[in-house]
Amino acid sequence: MSATTLTRPTEAAETSHVRRKSRFHGIDKRPGWLTYALLGVFFLCSAYPLWWSFVMGTRDNAAFGSTWPPLLPGGNFWKNVGEVFDTIPFWLALGNSLLISSIITVSVITFSTLAGYAFAKLRFKGRDGLMVFVIATMAIPTQLGIIPLFMVMRTLGWTGEIGAVIIPTLVTAFGVFFMRQYLVDVIPDELIEAARMDGANMISTFWHVGVPAARPAMAILGLFTFMTAWTDFLWPLLVLDAGNPTLQTALSQLQSARYVDYSIVLAGAILATLPLLLLFIVAGKQLISGIMQGAVKG
Amino acid sequence: MTSTLNRPPVESSSPATSHIPKKAPIAWKHRLSAFDVKASPYFYVAPFFILFAIVGLFPLVYTFVVSLFDWHLLKGQGDFVGLGNFVAVLNDRFFWNSLFNTVSIFFLSSIPQLVAAVVIAAVLDQNLRARTFWRMSILLPYVVTPVAVAMIFSNVFGEDYGLINNLLESFGITPVMWQNETLPSHIAIATMVNWRWTGYNALILLAAMQSVPRDIHESAALDGAGAFRRFFSITLPSIRPTMVFVIITATIGGLQIFTEPRLFDPVTAGGSQRQFQTTVLYLWEMAFFRQNFGKASAIAWLLFLLIVIFGLINFVLSRSIATAEGRGAKARSQRRLAKVRAREARESLRAGTAASVHRKTTLGADPSKSAEPPAERSAK
Amino acid sequence: MNLSRRNRLASGIAGAAAFALLATGCASTGGGSSDGDIELSITTFGTFGYDDLYKEYEKANPNITIKATNIDTGGNARTDAFTKISAGSGLSDVVAIEEGWLGAIMEVSDRFVDLNEYGAEDIKDNWVPWKYEQGTDPDGRVIGYGTDIGPQGLCYNGKLFEAAGLPSDRESVAALFGGDDATWETYFQLGEQYKAATGKAWYDHSGFVWNSMVNQLEEGYYTKDGELNVEGNTELRARFDQLAAGTAGGLSANQKAWDWGKGKAFVDGSFATFVCPGWMLGTIKGSLESGGGDASTGWDFADVFPGGASNWGGAFLSVPTTSEHPEEAAALAEWLTAPEQQVKQSAAAGNFPSTIEAQEKLAEEATPNELFNNAPTGAILASRAEGVIAQFKGPHDSLIQENVFGPALKLLDTGKTKSADEAWDEAITLLNDLVVNN
Repeated sequence: MSATTLTRPTEAAETSHVRRKSRFHGIDKRPGWLTYALLGVFFLCSAYPLWWSFVMGTRDNAAFGSTWPPLLPGGNFWKNVGEVFDTIPFWLALGNSLLISSIITVSVITFSTLAGYAFAKLRFKGRDGLMVFVIATMAIPTQLGIIPLFMVMRTLGWTGEIGAVIIPTLVTAFGVFFMRQYLVDVIPDELIEAARMDGANMISTFWHVGVPAARPAMAILGLFTFMTAWTDFLWPLLVLDAGNPTLQTALSQLQSARYVDYSIVLAGAILATLPLLLLFIVAGKQLISGIMQGAVKG
Repeated sequence: MTSTLNRPPVESSSPATSHIPKKAPIAWKHRLSAFDVKASPYFYVAPFFILFAIVGLFPLVYTFVVSLFDWHLLKGQGDFVGLGNFVAVLNDRFFWNSLFNTVSIFFLSSIPQLVAAVVIAAVLDQNLRARTFWRMSILLPYVVTPVAVAMIFSNVFGEDYGLINNLLESFGITPVMWQNETLPSHIAIATMVNWRWTGYNALILLAAMQSVPRDIHESAALDGAGAFRRFFSITLPSIRPTMVFVIITATIGGLQIFTEPRLFDPVTAGGSQRQFQTTVLYLWEMAFFRQNFGKASAIAWLLFLLIVIFGLINFVLSRSIATAEGRGAKARSQRRLAKVRAREARESLRAGTAASVHRKTTLGADPSKSAEPPAERSAK
Repeated sequence: MNLSRRNRLASGIAGAAAFALLATGCASTGGGSSDGDIELSITTFGTFGYDDLYKEYEKANPNITIKATNIDTGGNARTDAFTKISAGSGLSDVVAIEEGWLGAIMEVSDRFVDLNEYGAEDIKDNWVPWKYEQGTDPDGRVIGYGTDIGPQGLCYNGKLFEAAGLPSDRESVAALFGGDDATWETYFQLGEQYKAATGKAWYDHSGFVWNSMVNQLEEGYYTKDGELNVEGNTELRARFDQLAAGTAGGLSANQKAWDWGKGKAFVDGSFATFVCPGWMLGTIKGSLESGGGDASTGWDFADVFPGGASNWGGAFLSVPTTSEHPEEAAALAEWLTAPEQQVKQSAAAGNFPSTIEAQEKLAEEATPNELFNNAPTGAILASRAEGVIAQFKGPHDSLIQENVFGPALKLLDTGKTKSADEAWDEAITLLNDLVVNN
């Protein structure tokens, strides 16, 4: 595979842009209204449930009874948000989620890049066998190990601590595979040899050649790892408690505690979505190109 | 936007075979360096393997150990029962019920999702105005976590006074029992999954579509093929490998679905008649409600085997589809590309823009290459 | 261009991480113990009505901060409690235990502090004797102070009764159902009459009626000796058939318990009667509020119950041994369950106290409950508490109630079967799956 693989979709897109005025008739012409109508429908499907939740979160329970859903926000938002803050330790949960997801992300990126680099660019005995092992374990749902993990955490007395959530996901086989696939093409062997010729030892070669080259893939892997950790629910539900939750377990706690106050529950759901939503608005373009680049990279 | 800038300055022309090592290390290194060269790779891979052994493999193996015993959540290890727990689980109607629900929800989510994603990707794969906006708009649900999705859609699908039933009633249609009836509850849960993931998958498919060389489309268009014709004879075949990968990741994630059914009805853990209790939810019930770790471990292992089997089937299927389709698509691409090149050569001669030809063709993707969407979904 | 963009993303992530460190850093000092400041956590479920009492206690004890968690249902509270007991951590300093799963807690009673060490013996006489005994384990350790008990009266909607041509004032309704000799037979007969007149359902769903029927038996799912007592229990079966016949006849509104269509089923006339242990009054209050109902909706509370006195539910406050402040936790539990506070709790949540003094006070004051057509709910409950017996609760009592008979009765409610035999068989199968052979 050529070294340009990673950037292919965007480049292709951009070329299509340049080629807009192509003499060849037709394939890159501006689409008609039907396309935009369809896109409008997709947009509604994506956005409406969120908007509806927001509107409901700004009203009270009576709004649920009206046959036609209200379209505009009501005046109860801050009151509902206040109730959310009274019911769950929102900021603590947000902080925990950020901390957990960040540490896991850094860890997965670090160990995946190290191992991926070794698998892609270094020669050592047993390399191919170990790589097969990595690929084989990629499909293993390690989440099904919750029972022993739970027993271990209880023996160590780590239940209730966010460390119990972090430890089991410090590495992923997928990360190693992903980095290896990326690095194998992107670093020319000549470059490594050149660095070694200059007298660089292994680790500094890794640092000065491997890491810079790996950066784009690290960003993509980081993005997905962060999302995975951020959305995890089952495991934190088992090992954390109401006093020290993640955002996800705190949300379910809110649903449990305020089971008849639907507008408060939805206000909480929206509130918990806001951080990622803001990040999405700021960095959505990167997220999209990340997903699309990750897609073509095999 | 490209990431070209971050690449090492040496512009690579290295072929795909570059992972085969080229030359032996040169002898001018002294001993320390030799040790460095020999040992470093192991130091690089060791952290991964050590950690993975502890947090990935050990729990899996130990789950099997637990499954061989009577093992109570509170009272701990009891008698050795051999495969007794497995026999009990395989004779347990709730286990089969949970498998049925899991697979049913999986199909209800993966198939419509794939179809919708292809359609959306096709619509996006045009020369749109405000392209980024539209792409972002379909990806929007992805940033809403499953817990929030479940909370939102539990209200949308409420049996009394839910958004949908309210609308149905205003049109005089009998409301649907979204929680009490099996199929509607599966549809409701599948909708939660679909809502969150369709846009994400559409982007992945869009990437695959855009890696189909423009030239092929152009030459087909020149030959008089309309947009629909081109979609079915060019686009669809070339994104098939990507679709297979979307399905594989959907499988691994779909078979482990927990959050949505757990929160769809928080009181019953899968419905009053277990009509939407998935296998992981049953595993949770067995372990932490019925407090039977032995049987719960057996369920975990059976589910694990099932996922491996599904994975293998997928793998074999994707292999054969990828090669068969890839070959066909490749042959077609080659023919088209040859045509295109010939034509462009003629035209560039006329127009004197030969320079651009080379660049374009290097962009051509090899459709037989499997695309790999990140395996993030397994973590639902 | 790319560089700057990626850097923005990277710095965004870094910023988030830094913020996370900051946030948790701040938060971790919150649980601190500087200068005798103590944070006590407490977990309750359903509607406990403690919010104002916490504030009062914090005011009286400035060194104490209370962190409260409430869980929607007793069933979910049970799973939560046992997950945490098995994890060996995570339990609050004070944990509310429901009568239904007290039997299961008794099997691990050593995980809870013996309140005798904190003066339980001295206040023993506060409670009705059977409540205090329930909270005592076989070794004589007191592991829970009783909060409330669940004597049952009959909630009914006066407006709906009127519309169906039935009497609607409390005394006439009590007499209608048979006064002191009220039977389930009369209850179902009246239901049929109501159904014929209005075409509407009589009770919200079968499960709650069933719980009431079982809880007034001398022996429920277990014998006094702790033996499972379901299969072949003719008395239980007879009641089951009675209920099944009523439900098959359309008397059940097939409502989802704890949801009731976001409370609207209480408002829109879906059903006309509701079995009401004291604590249920708080649940109804919450449902009415969320469903947009109020006093004008027509609910009332009659001093009568089919089949005689019945006690369903009630709770205890316990202190797990994992608590870092057992003494302060025990003090809080003692204070919350003291007669004076039980009266306030009753005013907030409608439930009925378990201490004698509080019970007498409620009976005496007979404060009208506005939401229930100004019925003196406390006084009525005091009257309903007369003759209540403490039924032995086995280790799987709540599980049998919710996961064995719950689904079996739901079969009847949803109309999946009309046959009592079929539903009963399902219950027995479930019992064997979940309890006997688990």
